[in-house]
Amino acid sequence: MTVFQPVGALSFMALSVVLFSLGLYGALSRKSTVMVLMSLELMANAVNINLVALSRFSAPAEMTGQFFAVFSMVVSAAEIGLGLALVLALYRQRRTVEIDAMQELKG
Amino acid sequence: MGYIVAIPLLPAIAFAMLAPMSNRVRNKSLWISVAAVLVALVLSLVAFVQVWPGGHEGEAVYHASVVFASISTVNLGAGVLLDPISAVMLVVVTLVGACVQVYSIGYMHRDARIGWYYAVLSLFTAAMLVLVLSDNFLQLYMAWEVMGLCSYLLIGFWHEQVAPRKASLKAFLTTRVGDVGFALGLAVMYVTAGSFDFSVVLHGFQWAPAVATTVSLLLLFGAMGKSAQVPLHVWLPDAMAGPTPASALIHAATMVAAGVFLVARALPIFEASGVALTVTMLVGVVTALVGGMLAAVQHDIKKVLAYSTISQLGYMFVALGAGGIVAGFYHLVTHAFFKSLLFLGAGVIIHAAHTQDMREMGGLAKKMPVTTVTFTIGSLALAGIFPFSGFWSKDEILTVLWHGEHYVVFALALAAAFVTAVYVARLWFRVFTGPEQSELKEAHVEMLVPMGVLAAISAVIGFGSPYFAQFLGHEGEWPAAPIALTSTAVAGLGLALGWWAYGRRTKVLNTRPLKERAGFVYGALTMKLYFDITYDFFIVRGYGLLADALAVFDTVVVDGVVNGAGALWRAGAQAGALIDRYVIDGAVNGTATLVRAAGAKVRRIQVGRIQAYQGLMVGAIVLLMLWFVVKGA
Amino acid sequence: MLLSAIIFLPLVGAIVTALVPKDRGDLARWIAAGVTTIDLALVVFLALKFDVAQGMQFAEKVAWVPQFGISYNLGVDGISITMLFLSALLSVIAVVASWKMETKPTAYFAMLLLLEVGMNGVFVALDFVLFYVFWELVLVPMYFLIGTWGGPRKEYASIKFFLYTLFGSVFMLVGIIALYLQAGTFDITAMSGLGLPATFQWWVFAAFFLGFAVKVPVFPLHTWLPDAHVEAPTAASVLLAGIMLKMGTYGFIRIALPILPHAANQWAPFITALAAISIVYGAALAFAQKDLKKLVAYSSVSHMGFVMLGIASGTAEGLNGAIAVMFSHGVVTGMLFLIVGMVYERTHTRMIQDVSGLSHQVPVAGGLLAFASFASLGLPGLSGFVGEFLTLLGAWKSSVPAAWVVIAAIGVLLAAAYTLSMVQRVVLGTPSEAVSKITDLTRREVALLVPLVVLTLTVGLYWNSLLRFTDPVVTRIVAMLAGA
Repeated sequence: MTVFQPVGALSFMALSVVLFSLGLYGALSRKSTVMVLMSLELMANAVNINLVALSRFSAPAEMTGQFFAVFSMVVSAAEIGLGLALVLALYRQRRTVEIDAMQELKG
Repeated sequence: MGYIVAIPLLPAIAFAMLAPMSNRVRNKSLWISVAAVLVALVLSLVAFVQVWPGGHEGEAVYHASVVFASISTVNLGAGVLLDPISAVMLVVVTLVGACVQVYSIGYMHRDARIGWYYAVLSLFTAAMLVLVLSDNFLQLYMAWEVMGLCSYLLIGFWHEQVAPRKASLKAFLTTRVGDVGFALGLAVMYVTAGSFDFSVVLHGFQWAPAVATTVSLLLLFGAMGKSAQVPLHVWLPDAMAGPTPASALIHAATMVAAGVFLVARALPIFEASGVALTVTMLVGVVTALVGGMLAAVQHDIKKVLAYSTISQLGYMFVALGAGGIVAGFYHLVTHAFFKSLLFLGAGVIIHAAHTQDMREMGGLAKKMPVTTVTFTIGSLALAGIFPFSGFWSKDEILTVLWHGEHYVVFALALAAAFVTAVYVARLWFRVFTGPEQSELKEAHVEMLVPMGVLAAISAVIGFGSPYFAQFLGHEGEWPAAPIALTSTAVAGLGLALGWWAYGRRTKVLNTRPLKERAGFVYGALTMKLYFDITYDFFIVRGYGLLADALAVFDTVVVDGVVNGAGALWRAGAQAGALIDRYVIDGAVNGTATLVRAAGAKVRRIQVGRIQAYQGLMVGAIVLLMLWFVVKGA
Repeated sequence: MLLSAIIFLPLVGAIVTALVPKDRGDLARWIAAGVTTIDLALVVFLALKFDVAQGMQFAEKVAWVPQFGISYNLGVDGISITMLFLSALLSVIAVVASWKMETKPTAYFAMLLLLEVGMNGVFVALDFVLFYVFWELVLVPMYFLIGTWGGPRKEYASIKFFLYTLFGSVFMLVGIIALYLQAGTFDITAMSGLGLPATFQWWVFAAFFLGFAVKVPVFPLHTWLPDAHVEAPTAASVLLAGIMLKMGTYGFIRIALPILPHAANQWAPFITALAAISIVYGAALAFAQKDLKKLVAYSSVSHMGFVMLGIASGTAEGLNGAIAVMFSHGVVTGMLFLIVGMVYERTHTRMIQDVSGLSHQVPVAGGLLAFASFASLGLPGLSGFVGEFLTLLGAWKSSVPAAWVVIAAIGVLLAAAYTLSMVQRVVLGTPSEAVSKITDLTRREVALLVPLVVLTLTVGLYWNSLLRFTDPVVTRIVAMLAGA
């Protein structure tokens, strides 16, 4: 019995599930928009882990997952920049970043 | 002989120069008008001499024309035709015109619009000259109407007062009644003969009697309007509201004689008809009598003369109706001179006495010798006393009637001559004898000279009677003793009666004699034989009422139909709108309501909190995954 | 290209004027004045180049909708050029007469120019569709002119005017379509003298009659006219009376007579009767009016009756006379409306009872009003007489019942009655309160009237100045009528 069994794909996916669930919970429950954004980032990174892990274990030579993960990180960096900018703009206008304060689209 | 064209052109140019001027400049430019008429007079005399010794009418000494309208194959021309008749008329018009214009310098010198007065006189002179020189009936008609305009302007010259204003309107409209006939006559003439030219209509064309009667009666109707024949005479007495010299020129000497001139010109058509001649004679004799009788009851000196003019014009019509073109035309000429003389004299008298009412006049003979002499000559000429001009022309007319065996008309004409003598005497004795009633002063020389000229002509022109006939291309004769003596006797009797009634007493007289002896006749005469009142009541007021009624008809009925159609349409549209709203729109709106109700239920989901949406989304995904899991198994 | 330029130059002007900033009314009126003046100059140039012996001239024909045989087809003959000249002249006068327009001046002048486009177009169009387009185009600016710049009852008047004339032109459209189906073309000149079946002609003539008679207007279709005139601003009144009424009678002469000669002969007695009634009825109503503008409006009904009388006569005298009345009425009534407008600007009343003594207080205005009145009542030597007299001659010459001609002749007397009783009250006498302080016409106003005075005298004294244009065309039309 090896103490350190090689880490399998399942482990990475489990980690990913945990991270994603944390992110989802945060996104659904936090009051602060900034926190919601951070949670979204968590969920995105859970996906990235999945991408890298699955690529590594299914077709390591091609490195498709890695590339895709890098691409995804760049996009999410831009996205977070935009998101924070929006939050700042909102804050300037309303002096709050409480997400519940934004209900104008109520039907 | 192109200078003939200049005769009417000169006064026309004078008018064209004066009319656009400002009032101030115009008042100082009277000389233009006077110079124009004087030169025209000289040219007319030259023309007259050139026509001498005369000849048949229609044998033009000078004829020129230009086409001013072409319609398909017909050319309408404006022309100048110099023949004996027009030569005589040229002299009459320019001579009287010149006298009146010189006289007016004195008579009107204080008027603020004297320049305009002269401008209109010039236009009138031009129109009258165009009329007498016409070579066709259309041109004659056009000049005729322009004269009507001038008459209108001069009658209403003092339009700030009510009477001249009303009189001018009345004059224009009454003469225009005649002009409608004239215009229709022209239409019939044109359609029948295809031309207006004298050469065609009078000499070339064979008139069928029926058409000739139509044309000549219509022309006669026009002439009756212009020449104030019964029953269209009502305007002329009122026209005396204008300045007296203008009355002398227009309403005594020239324009009113245009009707006579027209009939004289158109006499070949009248002769082709025959009936028309009789009608002309009857109209004339009735007018001569009516005018004379009405003149005998007037108190206004100008109105006496106006009715006298009507009566004398009637005389001319009688002559023409009897076929006596020379006699009628000669009377036109003599009357033009002595009647304008009388009017100019009346102007002096009015200036001196400051009234037109003869009851307030008297004793002028002592203070105003020149006026008295000239006026007396005019009066005697009018009464028909030898050797003054009226005697000769009246005698010719009576001779024509006698030879034509119109004995009844002859008798009536003698009666008219008698009445004439009566009112002449009445006028003369009232004005010149008796006590003076105001400060009297003889008129200025520029007023007396024209009167002297006209008096001299009236005194001597009669001796030219036979030559006049020859000039017009007819046999000329000296008066025959029986008729001459009869007419003189009748006139003398009339003068005697006038003296007996109005001249015997020394104090100022009123109208008692006639009023006391024949109240009913007098009443009828002072009411102008009820002509005016009848016209006023039936025609003027009737037309006014009719027009007002038609105005109501137009608003209520004709426009009412339109507005009614509009209202009906609107009512229909409103009914349609109701259907639209509740039926068609109802269906559409029903659908919309349904959708809205459904939406109201569903909208509750949209709480607006983004996290709620996220939760829903996650829940949905979970459900979907469960679905796949279950289905996959 | 000259004709197109004449038509569309005002359109360009209208667009430019409409684009001028709203507060630059001065610029708008200068543009309008310039455009209309150039247009008038073009028309005068056209008239100088015009050869009276020839028929249609300066023709322009371009296929427009070839599938239906519709073409952009223009041309002038002696009758069109007379009307075109009148239209161009009165447009200039209308613009200058509105010099002091304060309310929405840019829109106002644009409307006037647009109106000129339609009027010019009607008189030179030789294609039915084009004719109809211009005919209807005229309605729109006039509707706005009355409805926006009009008097107190402008809404009622403008809607009545619009609906009434539209009602007529719908029938005209039916007639046009019927003719197209029968003849297979929209070309007006090609259609004349085709010898269409008699019954067909009768019905098409009926349709055209309704269309044109409303515009003329003939009794009893006239009631839109007084309302429109009274409410319209002065310039619109001038153009309405001066040009638009003539479009109806022009339609009769250009379209109804040459294309439907047989029906024209059949309809002549009926039209004569209506014409005679219009003459007398219009005159009697004018006599009863208390408002100066209404008086002139009803006098238009009377005068247009003479035009119809001449048209119905079908003789050379009558038709020449009809065109002469059209021309003279345009000039003289234009003058009357202008003077009445000028007096109204000063006294703020149009009631005859409130205005008197003009000649005493304002001799120029009074004198010109009297002059126009005498021209209107048909004094020889002025233009009104030419047409009235010729139409009477023509009517007498034709085979219509003489009684109607006599009635029409009485209209001449009645014209004198209403005109002179107006002159007597308004021009003569002592100045009334409203008149006692007003000033006389300005140089601009006199300059407006002088060309009209000159025209009145020219046509009145030398009839051929007008007849030389119209007579050759009229002779051809009369030959067609006689041949039918």
